[in-house]
Amino acid sequence: MLRRMMLAVALVLAGLAPLAAHGPTPQRAEERVTIAASPDKVWALLASFGAIGDWHPLVKKVSATGGNAAGAERVLTLEKGEITEGLDEIDPAERRLSYRLGKENAEAFPVSFYTAAIEVKPSGGGSEVVWDARFYRADTTNEPPEGRDDAAAIAAMTDFIKQGLEGLRSKAGGQ
Amino acid sequence: MSVISIAAPRRAAALGLALGVLPVTDTLADPLIAVVSQQAAAVTLIDAGAAAKVAEIAVPGVPAGLAVTPDGRRLYITHPDLGLVSRLDVASREVEARFHVGQEPFGIAVIEDGRSLLVSDWSDDALIRVDARHGHETGRVAVGRSPAGLVVDMVAGYAYVADRESHQVSAVDLARMTRKAAIPTGKAPFALALSPAGDRLYVANVQSGDLSVIDTGPLKEIDRFKVGLMPYGVATTSDGSRILVTNQQSGTLAIVDAATHAILGRPKLGSYLEGVVAFGPGRAAAVAWAEDSVLIIDVGKDRVTARIPVGAGPRSLAVMPRRWEPGVRGDMLNP
Repeated sequence: MLRRMMLAVALVLAGLAPLAAHGPTPQRAEERVTIAASPDKVWALLASFGAIGDWHPLVKKVSATGGNAAGAERVLTLEKGEITEGLDEIDPAERRLSYRLGKENAEAFPVSFYTAAIEVKPSGGGSEVVWDARFYRADTTNEPPEGRDDAAAIAAMTDFIKQGLEGLRSKAGGQ
Repeated sequence: MSVISIAAPRRAAALGLALGVLPVTDTLADPLIAVVSQQAAAVTLIDAGAAAKVAEIAVPGVPAGLAVTPDGRRLYITHPDLGLVSRLDVASREVEARFHVGQEPFGIAVIEDGRSLLVSDWSDDALIRVDARHGHETGRVAVGRSPAGLVVDMVAGYAYVADRESHQVSAVDLARMTRKAAIPTGKAPFALALSPAGDRLYVANVQSGDLSVIDTGPLKEIDRFKVGLMPYGVATTSDGSRILVTNQQSGTLAIVDAATHAILGRPKLGSYLEGVVAFGPGRAAAVAWAEDSVLIIDVGKDRVTARIPVGAGPRSLAVMPRRWEPGVRGDMLNP
């Protein structure tokens, strides 16, 4: 009986989640890094959508489906849980890809929704990588608790991007 | 455009024809455009012809939607996080009033020649009418979940609200404040635009990446087609021949033939495009959210003619009627 009630509660919560998924105030993070390696070499790492675990220090494990084409999905295992991302655009000519949070998990990453893009540009003899994201805090009501507010979302996203870019630079070689 | 709108296109077109005195020089024909910047908590006024910033005005925190009075003297701005609507006096460049409306006021429109406002309440799933002077609630109708974009056809006496989480548009009879129809659309409708003739309503569906076309006679969706990733803004050109859709995730502007629904072009114009408005013959202005800029666009040439820096986090914009134009000089709505 208790188990059945808990299941009912879980279902109700699951049903409510999409309601709170898109508050009206988006936040932004943008970071960039220069890498000695060529744009093609850096792009090859990024374009392998399911292989983010090879270079991102915060990603413990990845399982991916759909290859490297629009529509592909990857499940990232982070320190505190899993999030799912979907690849929406991949443009080898521009060396740009954009992706989106498919399934949120505010315990693992305190953000309710995001889109993000990574672009590689030639810079000097090497590359410049620009990674930006547009996202909403985990709790989109008007009085979010600490840890689920804008500040927490910005901190988490900025850290994820910064550490990712550093990891990418290490993996691509060159410093 | 995105979270605002007024009934101006249809009325303005009728006025111009009736009087036969539309301004002829570029300078006169170009309007002021108002833009809200969320992070900066500011409204920027832009002279579209000169591509220059005219003023940047501080407003209460996290502004989202805005609407302008028919005489262009006042702007009303929603602040969802604060549960507020503020009123800005354009001439003095100051916020002259603020009042609480609902829980999370988001989309806003000016009706009844400026005497009343309509506000969509994102968290209370309602369309609320308030008097524009004091913000007292004078009517309310339940709509779908998370109502966002709002557009009004004053001639027909209807408001249309994008019920984002219900994947539908609510059509509200303004005289009775009752919902006449809930029209299913694509996934997560957000921004709305009405054709100049008022016969078509265009709905940008964020999650399904398509545009719904609604015939406002029978209140039915008659077409739905892909436009791009995360369409967040929609507008029609003043002659009604083109529909403009900003695709936020790709930074592209889809230019759609209103008669055939063919996509004529989809240039990449900026980073995270959101609100869009059209003005004059064949021009538009769109917000590039991640660039903190407003783009002035030549629609026929598929290109940006000017980038104007604005406060951080620009979202939505509105074309401001010009007081000095014939027919809109009257001071009928000074609250």
